[in-house]
Amino acid sequence: MNMQEPRKTLEYDVLVIGGGIAGGESAINLANLGYKVLLVEKDLSIGGKMILLSKVFPTLDCAACITTPKVSEIARHPNITIFTGTETRKITKKGEHRFEVDILQKPRYVHIEDCTGCQLCEEACPVSVTDEYQYGLVGRKAAFIPFSIASPRVAAIDIENCTLCGACERVCPTNCIDFTMTEEEFLVKVKAIVVATGFNLFDPLKIPRYGYGKFRNVLTSMQMERQLAPTRPFNTVLRPGDGKLPDNIAYVLCTGSRDKSVGNPICSQICCMYSIKQAQLLMGALPMADITIYYLHIRAFGKGFNEFYVQAQDMGVEFVKGKVGKITEKENGNLILRYEDVEAGTVQEAEHDMVVLSVGVLPNLGISDVFENEKLELDPFNFINQSDMLASPAKTSIEGVFVAGTASGPMDIPDSILSGGAASAETTSYLRRESL
Amino acid sequence: MAGGKVNDGPRILVFSTDKISDPAIDMAGLLKLHYPPTVYTISIPCSSAVKPRWILHALEQGFDGVFIAADGTDCPYGESCTEKTGQVVSTTMQMMKDKGMDPARLKMAAICSVCSEPFVNHVKSFSEYLRKSSNS
Amino acid sequence: MKKKIGVYICHCGGNISDYVDVEKVREAVKNEEGVFLAKTTMFACADSNQKEMVEDIRKEALDGVVVASCSPKLHLLTFRGVVERAGMNKYNYVHANIREQVSWAHSDNKPGATEKAIQVVKAAIAKVRHAEALEPIKVKSTKAVAVIGAGVAGMRAAIELAEAGAEVYLIEREYFVGGRTAQWDDLCITEETGKELVTRLYDEVMKHKHVTLFTGAELVDYSGSVGNFNLKVKVTPRYFKLQCSSDELQKAIEVCPVEVPDEFNFNITTRKAIYHNYPSEYPQLPAIDMKNCTRCGECEKVCSSVDFSQKTEMLNLKVGSILLATGFDPYEPKKGEFGYGEIDNVVTFPQFKRIVHYCDDKLMYKGKEIKHIAYIYCVGSRQVDGENKYCSRYCCTANIHTAITVKKKYKNIYNYHFNRGIRTYGKAEVWYDESSRLGDIYLQSFEDHPPVVEKRGDQTFVKIRDILTTDKELEVAADLVVLVTGMVPRADNSIGNLLKVPKGRDKFFNEIHMKLRPVETVIDGVTIAGASQGPKNIMESMNSALAAATKSFSLVDSGELALEPTVARVNEEACEWCGKCEEACPYSAFEKVEKNGKTIAKVNAAVCKGCGMCLPVCPENALDLIGLSDEDVESMIDALIPNA
Ligand SMILES: Cc1cc2nc3c(=O)[nH]c(=O)nc-3n(C[C@H](O)[C@H](O)[C@H](O)COP(=O)(O)OP(=O)(O)OC[C@H]3O[C@@H](n4cnc5c(N)ncnc54)[C@H](O)[C@@H]3O)c2cc1C
Ligand SMILES: Cc1cc2nc3c(=O)[nH]c(=O)nc-3n(C[C@H](O)[C@H](O)[C@H](O)COP(=O)(O)OP(=O)(O)OC[C@H]3O[C@@H](n4cnc5c(N)ncnc54)[C@H](O)[C@@H]3O)c2cc1C
Ligand code: SF4
Ligand code: SF4
Ligand code: SF4
Ligand code: SF4
Repeated sequence: MNMQEPRKTLEYDVLVIGGGIAGGESAINLANLGYKVLLVEKDLSIGGKMILLSKVFPTLDCAACITTPKVSEIARHPNITIFTGTETRKITKKGEHRFEVDILQKPRYVHIEDCTGCQLCEEACPVSVTDEYQYGLVGRKAAFIPFSIASPRVAAIDIENCTLCGACERVCPTNCIDFTMTEEEFLVKVKAIVVATGFNLFDPLKIPRYGYGKFRNVLTSMQMERQLAPTRPFNTVLRPGDGKLPDNIAYVLCTGSRDKSVGNPICSQICCMYSIKQAQLLMGALPMADITIYYLHIRAFGKGFNEFYVQAQDMGVEFVKGKVGKITEKENGNLILRYEDVEAGTVQEAEHDMVVLSVGVLPNLGISDVFENEKLELDPFNFINQSDMLASPAKTSIEGVFVAGTASGPMDIPDSILSGGAASAETTSYLRRESL
Repeated sequence: MAGGKVNDGPRILVFSTDKISDPAIDMAGLLKLHYPPTVYTISIPCSSAVKPRWILHALEQGFDGVFIAADGTDCPYGESCTEKTGQVVSTTMQMMKDKGMDPARLKMAAICSVCSEPFVNHVKSFSEYLRKSSNS
Repeated sequence: MKKKIGVYICHCGGNISDYVDVEKVREAVKNEEGVFLAKTTMFACADSNQKEMVEDIRKEALDGVVVASCSPKLHLLTFRGVVERAGMNKYNYVHANIREQVSWAHSDNKPGATEKAIQVVKAAIAKVRHAEALEPIKVKSTKAVAVIGAGVAGMRAAIELAEAGAEVYLIEREYFVGGRTAQWDDLCITEETGKELVTRLYDEVMKHKHVTLFTGAELVDYSGSVGNFNLKVKVTPRYFKLQCSSDELQKAIEVCPVEVPDEFNFNITTRKAIYHNYPSEYPQLPAIDMKNCTRCGECEKVCSSVDFSQKTEMLNLKVGSILLATGFDPYEPKKGEFGYGEIDNVVTFPQFKRIVHYCDDKLMYKGKEIKHIAYIYCVGSRQVDGENKYCSRYCCTANIHTAITVKKKYKNIYNYHFNRGIRTYGKAEVWYDESSRLGDIYLQSFEDHPPVVEKRGDQTFVKIRDILTTDKELEVAADLVVLVTGMVPRADNSIGNLLKVPKGRDKFFNEIHMKLRPVETVIDGVTIAGASQGPKNIMESMNSALAAATKSFSLVDSGELALEPTVARVNEEACEWCGKCEEACPYSAFEKVEKNGKTIAKVNAAVCKGCGMCLPVCPENALDLIGLSDEDVESMIDALIPNA
């Protein structure tokens, strides 16, 4: 890196951090009102978790069909600039309506404007690694397009795994692969900030009793989401252990939620519903399969949710009230669940050939640390604290910094979108106060 | 297409409405409530906008029946919709009689924006009626 | 007639192609008259395909485009945007729905679905062949918004709209603001009480010179459309002068002989015909309830502020958008439902909130001290037999929070929660946890085995088959039974009918699309917020109020709106002016004009909504809707008939 060269300075009205559905909604609303928005996304594609989902409860709309047009509306909006693969390093508040932000764009080693997404580099690349966008279910190359509906849908080089063989560079028809790219730093001056950094998924390795990572037919719900998505890795739902079609699937709800032993006492608000959704989709995909959901309480609270839950019961999904204590594996890869059956009042065992852990929602830590001179406060669960939750839910401890979506706590897509709308409304009136 | 048409049931043309009954027909699909694939829709703003000549055109060109999925009292354009749609239907039925057509080949029912099941029931029974009457 | 039509057929990632043979569809339509290219695509709406379409349109100079994919409700606007970006007029785009109305509707019959898809795409091609380029009709938009309902959602939206720069009329039917929230003291989520929150919002509303609050006001009629609504608002006076001495008022209340159940306290107390709900309520002025006042004139004698000469007024307001925040009603149990109305110590949760409000150091009801409280959840929600299939969302959390408050406020309280599975979702879980730690007892049944309330002697018992203790039948003797009632739409929801806002399966106002357009309704310019759209707690109501304020504001912000040009058109040669169209049009869009020595009808394009009601009434067949001419419809009909 050439340190002599001064950092480029950019100016916008608003910085939106995080390009999930909540950040996207805020950015579009603000841009439609004429504000210039910089959207910074740390990943290679915008769209957040939602773009990777299968269908969404409670309407069973296909997630891609709702996300992709939103994402392309964001991508082509004249008032929105997007930086993918970019980290926010430091945020300093210089005064009301004056924020200075250091951002760092990681090299993609592909010139976005020139790449046509032809995938020739992918074919040519000899390196295979596991694919994080398919949640480890399959592999990908070191030269790769993140997923088929990514935005931007262009290649990137995973430099950590790349052997610098140059095969991709040779096949690329537009010569857009460029190994000389380096990190780029920018100083961004903005008047307001929306934090929409989303959530993290609970890592089930923290509950060794469930055998995730050890037993191959124990998956996370996100892996199942990928198996059911239209951009799915296999063309059907498979047991990763042996590629067999499962016919007796169990869901373990509240994995990593409502569990003080893993440090997360709260309910994740979405996992009951997405499990019920997956159960319905599985009944469509594998008509012969039995599906059992082990639950503590079913949180089917939103508009149309309870009806959706009842629909699953009517379709024949089995609901068992009880906490799963331990999972063990049989030689054939089947799994034995030991659980406390609340209704029967006894401990029971049941055999399933695939187990899905409905992992919970955790805060995405880190963003509060980049604020330099004023503190972005967190709530007791480490989500971003809403300083006036009842009257102005998007406000944070710093004036001019607003929060959208799951960055402030677990929520589903409709709520994330409303919260993104609220954040853009509060940002608008904050910006208006400057011009008055 | 060797072997002729796949769909040989009675052909029904549905006039649906953009804001009320077409969403219900969409939802029937979403809920996988099946109905015969020989049911086709043309969506228009309001059911009271159907011209009798369109209905006659459809019947003369080979449709076995026409179903107006009316807005009913939910019409966003005003209460007179129900009455006006009714007027269209009675005028057309008279024209059909004059031409010697069975007026029961035209049917109307109010389909609200969540009336997916009633819609499916209506087109199924209408289809059944048309099948019987064409055989007799 | 178009000669270079591009047709794109979407797989929808399997949603379509699992049932419809899209390749076969492509083959079948590629040689249709006017079709220049026909392609299939994995996701028509994806960015990459949109780019490809733009390139095709530009490179091949296409003159019409059809996308066969999901419902136009989802993506008509998306694809109109795509063709516009390529420089094509958006009315040269036609959408074919082969998902909701083909692949999904006929997923049981793949060949049938494929054949139908072919006809549907052919009809769309027939339509696009005749399509003409149109320019939107520009109308001025009034930079003002009417917010209906001054509950917390309405007030918050009003403040936001005013801050953003719109003129706001806040219209409240009652004489006092705050809606339901004014009725609750302790609130869950924060320490602030309902009254404090209402005070805070009211102060901000009054501070804002661009918000005008009307109380006792109701929207009774309206005309016009998005950008230019003309509202007729009826304002009933409070029969009180703006100044009022509290001593005189107190006397007036004392002398008023009329006593009616106090709805503010859910009828557990009474009030006079001259009243305020609680001291220092907003606006800080009492009102006389004319429905019950007997005009005896007693109050007038002791209070100089009473003024019976005030008249009901009719206001005419002009606004560009309407934001509905009319809230909810608590479910009112039927007589005998869990003993309600029959057993004297059975109350609803809202009533319980008011009882707690009035009891300082001892919890008393009907002269008895309350120690053992049984709460029955989901009353009026999650009904197995009734119509309310939904969960009311707020009640588990709000009730557990109230039970904790009660336990801390009074001595020796024992709480028993008869529930169907507690739904303290999200962070509210901590209260559930806390209440269990405080010793509250939870008993659970399934939907179809609700608990039973019985009176034996002078004791009230609640009985349940508790699934938490292996289906044992358990019984609790309760001093008070609280029915945790859900939310239902406002009993008087006539405003919804007036504005034609559709209702969902739960009968609350319905949004266009839960995820794409969650605060807009099918009535252009009318947005919905708060609990009027479905059960919500306060924070959720605020989020939706702010989101709705943003949408309403974006409609009035620029001062101009582009309206659909698909309006009625008169064939001047055929028209013989009979006046039938003028009679039929609900919007008075027709004018009688003289043209070339002939009297004919003329359509005012800015007023016409394009409903088409006038079309069938014209005896000369002189009327058409632009984009839905006889030729359009008849050519689609022809195309829908296979092998015709
Ligand atoms: C298995 C599963 C199934 C689900 N199914 C459904 C469903 O059917 N229906 C439904 O309503 N909801 C569902 N959800 C919930 C849904 O995914 C969330 O409600 C939604 O994704 C939240 O959106 P968000 O924008 O708040 O967060 P996210 O989707 O997490 O997006 C946050 C974005 O910010 C980026 N980011 C994070 N940190 C930074 C940083 N420091 N700098 C820059 N960018 C950053 C991330 O890369 C990401 O793109 C499901 C969730 C899961 C896990
Ligand atoms: C017993 C109970 C306890 C609760 N406790 C809590 C709690 O602790 N925490 C929490 O977050 N939430 C709580 N809630 C939920 C809370 O009350 C709602 O979220 C909130 O009131 C919704 O606000 P709103 O403005 O949408 O509706 P509302 O409060 O119902 O206000 C609507 C307003 O519109 C007016 N209006 C109606 N129709 C018309 C018309 N046609 N024209 C003009 N005006 C009209 C009404 O008079 C009213 O003022 C509780 C609810 C209940 C029932
Ligand atoms: S240079 Fe790297 S990315 Fe390119 S083909 Fe070789 S290993 Fe793969
Ligand atoms: S939503 Fe359901 S599965 Fe998720 S933590 Fe809450 S109760 Fe458990
Ligand atoms: S929130 Fe609780 S009490 Fe209310 S309806 Fe839902 S489950 Fe029943
Ligand atoms: S289409 Fe005809 S009836 Fe409808 S608004 Fe226009 S002129 Fe009036």
